[in-house]
Amino acid sequence: MAWLIFAPEARGQFAAIARIRWQLFVNSLQTVRGRVELASRIFMGLFIALAGVGGAIGFGGAAWFFISQDEAGWLSILLWSVFLFWQLFPLMATAFTENLDSSNFLRFPLGYPSYFLVRLVYGSLDPATALGSLWLLGITIGIGFADPRLLIWAALVLLAFAIVNLLLARMIFAWVERWLAQRRAREIIGVLFFLFILSFQLIGPLMNRYGEKPRPGVVRVSRELSPAQRLLPPGLAAEAIARMSHGQVSAGLGFFAVLCPYGAAILWLLNLRLRAQYQGENLSEAVGYIASRKENQALRLGWSVLGFPGPIAATFEKELRYLSRSGPMLFTLITPVFWLLIIRLSGKGGNFLARAPDLAFPVGGAYALLLLTNLVYNNFGADGGGIQFFFASPVRFRKIVLAKNLAHVAAFGLETVLVWLAVCMMYRPPAVDVTIATLAGILFAAPANLALGNLLSIYSPKKLDWGTFGRQRASRTTVLASFGIQFGIFGLGTVVFLLARHYGSFWLATPVFLVFSVLSFTGYALVLKRIDRMALDRRETLISELCRA
Amino acid sequence: MDVPAISTEGLTRRFGELVAVHDVNLRVAPGQFFGFLGPNGAGKSTTIKMLTGLLAPTAGRIHILGLDLIAKPLEVKRQIGVVPEGMALFGRLTGSEYLNFVGRMYGLDRETAAKRTAELLEFMQLADQPKKLVTDYSHGMQKKLALAAAVIHGPKILFLDEPFEAVDAIASGTLKAMLQRMIARGATIFLTSHVLEIVERLCSHVAIIHRGQLVAQGSLEELRAGVEAQAATGVPAVAAEGATQSGREKLTLEQIFLRTVGDLRRADQELSWLG
Repeated sequence: MAWLIFAPEARGQFAAIARIRWQLFVNSLQTVRGRVELASRIFMGLFIALAGVGGAIGFGGAAWFFISQDEAGWLSILLWSVFLFWQLFPLMATAFTENLDSSNFLRFPLGYPSYFLVRLVYGSLDPATALGSLWLLGITIGIGFADPRLLIWAALVLLAFAIVNLLLARMIFAWVERWLAQRRAREIIGVLFFLFILSFQLIGPLMNRYGEKPRPGVVRVSRELSPAQRLLPPGLAAEAIARMSHGQVSAGLGFFAVLCPYGAAILWLLNLRLRAQYQGENLSEAVGYIASRKENQALRLGWSVLGFPGPIAATFEKELRYLSRSGPMLFTLITPVFWLLIIRLSGKGGNFLARAPDLAFPVGGAYALLLLTNLVYNNFGADGGGIQFFFASPVRFRKIVLAKNLAHVAAFGLETVLVWLAVCMMYRPPAVDVTIATLAGILFAAPANLALGNLLSIYSPKKLDWGTFGRQRASRTTVLASFGIQFGIFGLGTVVFLLARHYGSFWLATPVFLVFSVLSFTGYALVLKRIDRMALDRRETLISELCRA
Repeated sequence: MDVPAISTEGLTRRFGELVAVHDVNLRVAPGQFFGFLGPNGAGKSTTIKMLTGLLAPTAGRIHILGLDLIAKPLEVKRQIGVVPEGMALFGRLTGSEYLNFVGRMYGLDRETAAKRTAELLEFMQLADQPKKLVTDYSHGMQKKLALAAAVIHGPKILFLDEPFEAVDAIASGTLKAMLQRMIARGATIFLTSHVLEIVERLCSHVAIIHRGQLVAQGSLEELRAGVEAQAATGVPAVAAEGATQSGREKLTLEQIFLRTVGDLRRADQELSWLG
């Protein structure tokens, strides 16, 4: 246990770290953004306090009820709930979790025990720890009210359970951090995470579809799982308290004794990871594929886009290569198909498309266009420092923007075809009049979105990394403007479609949309014509925002 | 008389109250290897950004090869190559894709762009990992790629902001050889660097900017003569020290620089607790 001995200067180091965090917070208030962040933190703080106190009362009440009714075994439900929240919430809501970049501390003469403690303490200052601790406190108090003799024992067991949770959460984060250190791993995990989130949306429709009859298999499996859960920390903690409440002291002590080695094992795994970090492990990208000399010498020609000059073709190629390497962005493109599937699975007459399947294609197309705003409303977000090249190159900005828009249109065209095929398979092939009217609607909505998106890209840029999830939001201005624009465009489209449907002919919608599309094309052309001047006027903002580290 | 490769008149840039560059009159002749020096925050990067069209001047005029940068930006940009402060790379392309892209943006046809890309990757020793994305390159590799991109269209003037930073000794030698070959063929190079030894070895002419103002400009010999003449008139301790040295051997660029910006500290009088 020599590693637990702190260096003499450790106290001063802890104080310095606490002070620097406070100073960073105070300095952040000097900017408007920082003040807005503070307001949102206060709001989040109130929400967490409310959820913490409310949850503590709820959990406490439930614990009191179980003990009073001599059903202490049910405590495991409460402890499993706390456990799952404590471990999963930080992973699913990274935006609310501020992780300390520990690598900065490695250059100081910080002893390993101090480093370990800093990682543990500062890493644990998150909503999950606060809420989990409050809820366990509530459960302890609830048990104490129901049976005062159990209070001390329950407090001891739940304290150990809290420590296990704390260590486990830190251990998971430390290992996830290790796996995410490499870009490729980050992207793969990002895609898996996205699938995980999407699959959650299937639970409702599947329950709706298959959950009406009791499933004897499910009941049997859950019965068999019950003894197994007692071997895991939440079950062990619940059993330790339940057995003690039934007067089985040795059994209670036995379950508690098994809980403690879990803590020790998790501590060991956490220590393994943190020690490797402390010793300065190298997490650089693995050396990639080494090509043969012959392969190196093969010339690879750039793309040629029929009818467009070289710079436009080059930018078009660059945009599609970027898109093809962005797992998250590609997945947003398949979301409309997935969404149609969800609606189809849950559609037993209760939803709009079940009653009006002829509108599935226009609705799917509109959703696809809505998702395209991710790309269109922040045209230069993924370029980062590359924006400087656009300003230094001898190419007019309008050509660059046009090439980007062509790439957006190509992606959207592909998506529209996918949606059409999905509608054919899940509902029925859209009628010719609906298909033509939808395409006419797209001719109106797409240029309007592209024109407004180009303006927002210049006036409200935000650096984004297409390869990663989380902590990436468009600027608030863009979000607000986007909301208003979509409300206008899709509102108009919906009115036209519903009126055409009301009068019994979707052919009526086509000429209306074509008239609108003349206006939106004119608007697009006007924006494109003026974009050089606008970009030059805004170049400093664009460069400083997009080159931000 | 030759049209200067780069000339500025009253070049000024303000950021609110702060005057980052004030009334700078630069003149760089064609074929010069020109070093632009200054302490941190002196206005070097701001000036180079204005000269390459990345930043609008608040006042003043810029002429590149006789063309007004404000009036004819595209004509100017076709003839220059730039490695800006942030390197202006597109991280999610491979090195080959990036160079191909840059070549075609400068108007090269597909075949020429592809051929020069292959040659440059080979020259810069970046050809071994063709599938590696730029974002996964080391800082030195990114710097070499940015330099390759700046020369792919054969520019007449090359603007380099700290080109040797984080580049290893072997690559640095290759780059220097490449830059000197460009100079021999008549190109003009305008570079900023904090490594004064490199500037002294490569550059024939130097300008020094301090607190936004140009405080010296000329060939190394002219600058040396100017500093020695100042020292001869006598003044501060540092100047006297420089003058004493100059009697024995030529002043180095570092000494000229420190004398010119006039900010040499006496280390022996400060931080007495150190070592």
